[in-house]
Amino acid sequence: MKLFTRKDQAEDRAGAAEVTPAETVSAFLTAFGRRDVEAALSVVDDSVRVDIHPTGLREGGSAELRAFLTETATAFPDLLVTVKNLIETGSVVTAELKVEGTQAAVYLGAINQEKHLDVDQAWRFTVSGDRVTAVDAYWCQNQLYRRLAVKRLDQISLV
Amino acid sequence: MTTTELQSRSREAADQVTAFFDAYRRHDVDAMTDLCADNADFSYVPFEVWGKQRVLRGDGKVKTVGKTIWVGLIASFPDLFTDVHTVDANDAGDVVVTCDIGGGQQLAWGPAEPRGGKFSEPHLFIFHVDGDGLIDRISAYWDGAGINRQLGHLEVD
Repeated sequence: MKLFTRKDQAEDRAGAAEVTPAETVSAFLTAFGRRDVEAALSVVDDSVRVDIHPTGLREGGSAELRAFLTETATAFPDLLVTVKNLIETGSVVTAELKVEGTQAAVYLGAINQEKHLDVDQAWRFTVSGDRVTAVDAYWCQNQLYRRLAVKRLDQISLV
Repeated sequence: MTTTELQSRSREAADQVTAFFDAYRRHDVDAMTDLCADNADFSYVPFEVWGKQRVLRGDGKVKTVGKTIWVGLIASFPDLFTDVHTVDANDAGDVVVTCDIGGGQQLAWGPAEPRGGKFSEPHLFIFHVDGDGLIDRISAYWDGAGINRQLGHLEVD
């Protein structure tokens, strides 16, 4: 059965074009802040290229992004993502944000000592249509580990 | 403002920031600061030194805190380089830059003693260029742990 006509597809594309890159990124970050990983990924293209520099992830894909978002949402049940600044420069959207929460599980190798995390971050998104096609995340892992009471970079899991 | 004028504002902002990185590449800190407004805000977000009584942060003004950090960084890493990858600007004067910064360590940098190590680390800079064409805000993000690992400094200070 034919579900879509050419006209339907054209209308669908036209609808997608009405969503600005900043709105797409806001939808992603709002869902992330709600710890709703599936909703966040619903605006991410399957072929997304992901660099999460502090974790060492380079040229990852949607599976790695899903794993990172899930680990964050799991480790911080009271996760709070505050977007401080959202800059749209054409198809690139850059968000300055603060990530806060109380650790409740192992996170990026750091054992759970129920410490409070607050780390300022910058995420750079590339958006095509209504889909995120690239994500680059920047923050200082030294700041993150300091707040989680990690003492040495070569002994992340030791107290 | 016409579309042409808006595109011109975007282009001028990008050009000003490109000139900033050209000066950075030459280690010309005076030229870097001359491209900024007198009261330009400065925030190197990962820059955080924890003492017993207080925490020093890389927040303040370009012509005080920023200039001091850049002079110290270039002294510690005499072959400091900046490789700019992307420059994205808009008609509001915002400019976002991705680049790698690195170099070989000759002097102490923060708590990292010189061990002859080298680093190269991805950075993201966010600038704002005002209506007079001067940079009035600089913020930067990077992974300090990535730099410390490369320099052989493994304590989380």
